[in-house]
Amino acid sequence: MFAGIDIGSSSSKAAIIGDDGRLLSVSVHNQGAGTDGHRQALERALALAGAERSDIRFLVATGYGRMRYEGADRQLTEISCHAKGVAWLTSGARTIIDVGGQDSKAIKLDAAGNVANFAMNEKCAAGTGRFLEVMARVLDCRVDELSEIAAASVKEVPISSVCAVFAESEVISRLSSGERPEDVARGAHVSIARRIAGLAGRIGCQPEIVMTGGVALNGDAVACLSKELGHEVLVAPHAQAIGAVGAAAFAWEMARAAK
Amino acid sequence: MNMNERSVTSKELLKKLTALHYEGAAKAKAEGRPVVWATSISPQELLETMDLATVYPENHAAAIGARKEALVFIDEAERDGYSQDICSYARVNIGYAGVGKSEAQDIPLPDLLFCCGNICGTVIKWYENLAKELRVPMIFIDMPFNHSFHVPAHSRAYMRGQIEDAIEQLEAFTKRRFDRDKFSEVMRLSNATCEWWKKATDLAKAKPSPLNGFDMFNYMAIIVCMRGSKEGYELFKLWHDELAAKAAAGMGPWSSAEEKYRVMWDGIACWPHLSTTFNALKKHGINMVTSSYPESWNLRYETNDLEGMAAAYSSIYANRNLDYDIGYMKKLVDEFRLDGIVYHSNRSCKLMDFRQYEVQRRVGELTGVPSVIFDGDQTDPRSFSEAQYETRIQALAEMMERGKGGMGL
Amino acid sequence: MSYRETVTKLRERALDPAKSAAALTRETGKPLIGCFPVYAPEEIIYAAGALPVGMWGGKTELKLADRYLQSFCCSVMRANLELGLKGSYGALRGVVIPTFCDSLKCVCENWKTAVPQLPALPIVYPQNRSAAGTLYMKDELARFKGEAEKLLRVNISEEALMAAWETYEDCRAAQRGFVAAVARHAGAIDAETRHLILKAAYFSDRAEYARLLRVITEGLASEAEDSTEASPGIRRRAYGIKAVLTGYMSEPAEILRILDENGVAVVGDDLAHASRQFRVAGRREGCFWELMAGRMADQSGCAFLYDPNKSRGRNLLHMVREADADAVIVFMMKFCDPEEFDYPIYRKELEAAGVPVLCLEVDQQTDSFEQIRTRVQSFAETLGTAPLGVRAGGKA
Repeated sequence: MFAGIDIGSSSSKAAIIGDDGRLLSVSVHNQGAGTDGHRQALERALALAGAERSDIRFLVATGYGRMRYEGADRQLTEISCHAKGVAWLTSGARTIIDVGGQDSKAIKLDAAGNVANFAMNEKCAAGTGRFLEVMARVLDCRVDELSEIAAASVKEVPISSVCAVFAESEVISRLSSGERPEDVARGAHVSIARRIAGLAGRIGCQPEIVMTGGVALNGDAVACLSKELGHEVLVAPHAQAIGAVGAAAFAWEMARAAK
Repeated sequence: MNMNERSVTSKELLKKLTALHYEGAAKAKAEGRPVVWATSISPQELLETMDLATVYPENHAAAIGARKEALVFIDEAERDGYSQDICSYARVNIGYAGVGKSEAQDIPLPDLLFCCGNICGTVIKWYENLAKELRVPMIFIDMPFNHSFHVPAHSRAYMRGQIEDAIEQLEAFTKRRFDRDKFSEVMRLSNATCEWWKKATDLAKAKPSPLNGFDMFNYMAIIVCMRGSKEGYELFKLWHDELAAKAAAGMGPWSSAEEKYRVMWDGIACWPHLSTTFNALKKHGINMVTSSYPESWNLRYETNDLEGMAAAYSSIYANRNLDYDIGYMKKLVDEFRLDGIVYHSNRSCKLMDFRQYEVQRRVGELTGVPSVIFDGDQTDPRSFSEAQYETRIQALAEMMERGKGGMGL
Repeated sequence: MSYRETVTKLRERALDPAKSAAALTRETGKPLIGCFPVYAPEEIIYAAGALPVGMWGGKTELKLADRYLQSFCCSVMRANLELGLKGSYGALRGVVIPTFCDSLKCVCENWKTAVPQLPALPIVYPQNRSAAGTLYMKDELARFKGEAEKLLRVNISEEALMAAWETYEDCRAAQRGFVAAVARHAGAIDAETRHLILKAAYFSDRAEYARLLRVITEGLASEAEDSTEASPGIRRRAYGIKAVLTGYMSEPAEILRILDENGVAVVGDDLAHASRQFRVAGRREGCFWELMAGRMADQSGCAFLYDPNKSRGRNLLHMVREADADAVIVFMMKFCDPEEFDYPIYRKELEAAGVPVLCLEVDQQTDSFEQIRTRVQSFAETLGTAPLGVRAGGKA
């Protein structure tokens, strides 16, 4: 069996692929780099696959914490792994939008599903999952509740600050001037969607557009992004764990190539 | 080269000349001779002819950055009201002008400022402010941005006129006559030095490249400050010969690793994170073999042709239109057989940054070579994230590996 | 038309530039040429039978511009590129992009690829405005004239150029007259209206605009001091502080309303978008090219023009004294290098002379003003003028 593990900045994900190339299990654990979340994610994935650590013939690590993970046979960037994971589980994708906690990326794929080019956010947190975390804190909710809250929005409260820190104070003043949290949440999604649309514009966004990463689970944010890009954005299967799936797929391929 | 006695290496000479350069300026100050501060690609021929001790704030700021000392001066400038959005070389230098000393390297304060607008418009503002704050005169040579492919005739005439004016200003400042014969000699020597700089950096076309591009960043300091001197000429000739010998022996850039990929680096170095940026590349076997800088100091013209000299200075990458820049980058990709390009989105340098996205797109389309943009700054350590950089470089390595049919598959 | 109606007319013209530009070309039958900041050879365009219109950004969602520019480019340049990419400049025949700063150089280059349907006419003004610079400028303007002729398929005669010069000189005189009248009758026109009236010039035929402006200037002079009749933009109200504005431009205009709320009257400006455009009167002698070059050479204290004497602080101090102002308020356009470089120097000079300085960092796309409101109010408080409503009247 083959494993992939994606150690992100705020969560860890693992995936197991069988000898026949079939995806056996995935798991997500809400602790990221610097914790033992990766161990827990892997254990859970192994348990789901009915396997043990010793069954793993090749392991690829990816994500923010990949460098410091010692149990890997190889470590690869999340850019390659997301592309691989999407190619493994879907077909026809030409653009991947991955919004992670630390980084967001627009990845352009060639016809074979390989990375042709990619663009990433500037150094600051604008347009990343971190931005939504800040917004959730101000709105006093969990990040995974934002979508539901925004769904009840009747109008969008524009958030013009691109910097998460400034956006925080902007949102506080919006709320204190009587704006509804629902509309602020929508505003936050539109804001992040715009940043990502700008990013995607740099590489030339072509359909199919597939979204990966934790923010892909936020239906309202995905809808906002579809609107900004003027094209439907599909959510990848196992969107949050697809980097781990891609890593496991690489593990499978690499082990076979090494034979 | 005399093989019997151990001759000095170019690296040793580089170190020695750097020390001599700064000692010379300090000595001039101590003896009451004037000191000039000048921009990095200014017609130093005029200053050299006048025997004026000159230091280059950009070199100095880079040295401070590399010594991880920049924040001391940046903080000083920002306390004074300078925005953190402006060029960090300017903030470091203006801060230094206030503080007056540094661990990395001390330089004497200027008695004259010599500014050339070919590298950016920012230097105009920076030097204006120095002139005001330090109450010293400023000579400024404007070099209009070339929105057309070539330098227009009226622009050449304007620059020649300004060079003539600058000569008069220098005569008035020094109360000495400008020696035209010496000027010819300096022009000849400067051209010869630039020729060896270009020849040396061109040796990186060999595969593997005998040159580690991060070394080129170090040698740049001397092509800035000593290209009009005999010592500078000798350094680049020596460096060239060493690299040629390495290339002939089939030696690569490092003794500890093989050159696997060849990239160009677009933009200034990230001085405060020099080793981090270098190591992340080397780890993947990526050698930076060239950048826009070899050509930036390939300042060549006919001796005594002032207009030609002006045109050469005006023709550097930073002062040219997109068509030129893209064609030039494509040429580098072909000639240096590059596998990829690393673009430094340098918070300090709007002139380079705001063309980068389009250059990246069009060079990518023309050459099919993968590339990556990372965020950083030439001297402000706060604008760089190591983890982000490493991920992007690794992603580039993965794209290059795939380009070579790799990925261990 | 009464002067109050004229005020309303110009306010409206400035409030909807797209509509005004469309109306301008419809009513005059003349083609429009967009002009990027800071200075453009508008006289040449005017002489070619076209009308120059200003392109100083505008409020828009920045999205497409991200393909070309990082987020640390100034909001005006990003907005112009965004609007170009969105096709919002359909009324224009071409654009003039003078490259006064590094961002403008790049935006000009990007424009050629990004918005090819709107030809860019780059122009590079000399920074050294010496004899060599003046000579160069004459050549550069002549080159530009050739490009304009090609684009507009016309021949521009010397007579037309001189006539355009006269029209512009007359308009600039009217503009100087207007700002002087506003200063004399501080409080008669609020800060936002002053801004909008000046902004309207960018979407007008200057001959017509000068006439309208004179109507307002005369109206202001004859307006009875105690008039309280309400009409948009004309609210005689008490104010506590007379301020001179400096910076790139005084937008977003919401900030001007905040000044007004806090009893700040604008009695002068050194804004690139406003007075720097017209404060220098042309020389009396010379051919068209010499007059054009001379007017640029005579400009001082502008962040975008090399000024070895760094006269901006001195000029501001002079303005403050002339207008008996209490403070200088800086509209610091975020990411505008030339303005950001000037600030520490003139701030020091102003403060040394005892002139309080309030620096507001602005971004054209901002729509959150709470922090600015607080800063303006506390500035007013520290100047010892209680907020309106508490205090029983103003200086006027």
